[in-house]
Amino acid sequence: MSPIIEISIPQLLLALLFILVAQTTSFVQKLGLNKDITIGTIRTVAQLFLMGYALTFIFGANNPWLTVGIFIVMVFSAIFIVRGRVKEKQIAYEVPTFLTMLSSYFLTALFVSWLVIGVEPWWEPRYFIPTAGMVIGNSMSALAISIERLFSQMRQQRDLVETKLCLGANYKEASRDIFKGAIKAGMIPSINAMMGVGLVFIPGMMSGQILAGADPLIAIRYQIVVMFMLVGSTAMSTIIVTLIIRRRCFGKSEELVVSAE
Amino acid sequence: MTKLLELRDLSFSYDKGAPPVFEHFSLDVRKGEFLVIKGPSGSGKSTLLRLICRLNTPRSGSIIFKERDVSEITPSELRSKVTYVPQIPQMIDGSIRDNLQLPFSFAQGQGKSVPDDSALEQMLDAFYLNDVTLGQSANKLSVGQKQRLSIMRAILTEPDVLLLDEPTSALDAESAAMVFSIIERLNTEEGKTVLIVTHSDYQPDVPQARSCTFRNGNLECS
Repeated sequence: MSPIIEISIPQLLLALLFILVAQTTSFVQKLGLNKDITIGTIRTVAQLFLMGYALTFIFGANNPWLTVGIFIVMVFSAIFIVRGRVKEKQIAYEVPTFLTMLSSYFLTALFVSWLVIGVEPWWEPRYFIPTAGMVIGNSMSALAISIERLFSQMRQQRDLVETKLCLGANYKEASRDIFKGAIKAGMIPSINAMMGVGLVFIPGMMSGQILAGADPLIAIRYQIVVMFMLVGSTAMSTIIVTLIIRRRCFGKSEELVVSAE
Repeated sequence: MTKLLELRDLSFSYDKGAPPVFEHFSLDVRKGEFLVIKGPSGSGKSTLLRLICRLNTPRSGSIIFKERDVSEITPSELRSKVTYVPQIPQMIDGSIRDNLQLPFSFAQGQGKSVPDDSALEQMLDAFYLNDVTLGQSANKLSVGQKQRLSIMRAILTEPDVLLLDEPTSALDAESAAMVFSIIERLNTEEGKTVLIVTHSDYQPDVPQARSCTFRNGNLECS
């Protein structure tokens, strides 16, 4: 395998031409996205450089508490992103969502790094942090979709849910279709990704490994693990969170407490 | 007649700090009674029905059904015995048959025998719905047809009490008369206890009828 080709700063700046294309498109078509593209570009560079230095430090420190601490910070940041996407003020969903993300993502990352890849020790930051990062990044989007769908459908179908309650349904029966729809909405993107992987697109992780000089046959094994891991962690977290939040949409008397739109 | 429902000292407001809809409200409903509750919009008529079947929770006070506090009864069990039919009829996507059999798909209705097609067709006739078929889409019916279908669906599991919220609000005079005659028959022939909320000047033609009007959070009954 050839060694990795380092990207110099001038080469990195050359990549800004892609941003220039996006900015020009936005300007010509009057999309109003120029400010967002600028902020996004600055944040991408700043956040990734920061992460690069942080990871260099963490890999060097080789401390389990630091690895777990970084993991908690990543999940904590993720819940803020989910909050930004789910416009819900009435039902408190943040704490159970955070705790579910923390426990399910930790278990997934632990399972993959320790048992599937066989890393010793299990917290080896070079494996644990990227694995956890992929789990958090993907499942966070799925969770946001599921939670948003659950709340919006509870509001839209409020009268129908109440009708079912009035006909003797318990809260689970009255919201069964909404619950299933919310979980499906969250899980479909990761299932679709399994359908298209290797045919329609080469995933980021595998591309990164190949660019870094890894054997493609080793890279695909990692990618297979990642694809399975993402489907599993997405299913686990969306089901647990949707179950908890669904209960919170109903009061003690199993009355729907989510108000109409 | 024995008391079936007792509302004791109920107080309720929709939000903390909002003006109360009820303050120390009490009402007794006897078995087989036909109670018509009238009053202007916003007087609390619908809220009263929603409180009885626990779709809203009172701030204080108690509701007794068959000598048991409703808070001691599983909500789904209570609602299968004290069934509320909302003002705007709601149908699930599917046929009329699917909608009529819906209550039997819930755990609460699973012990009960599901009426077969011929029984349902007979009931459709009795509900002036002889122009529809069991296989047609329920959501394509007119509002008046849906109103009748939703009442029919509510009584299939044989509740003790029917709580009807403005069952004729969107209907013309002819359809409204049909709905009222169905409700009256349910009371006189099947002995159902009926609480009906309406803002029309409906005068029931049944022996057990009592008319009450909401004024300032209190009911004045004749």
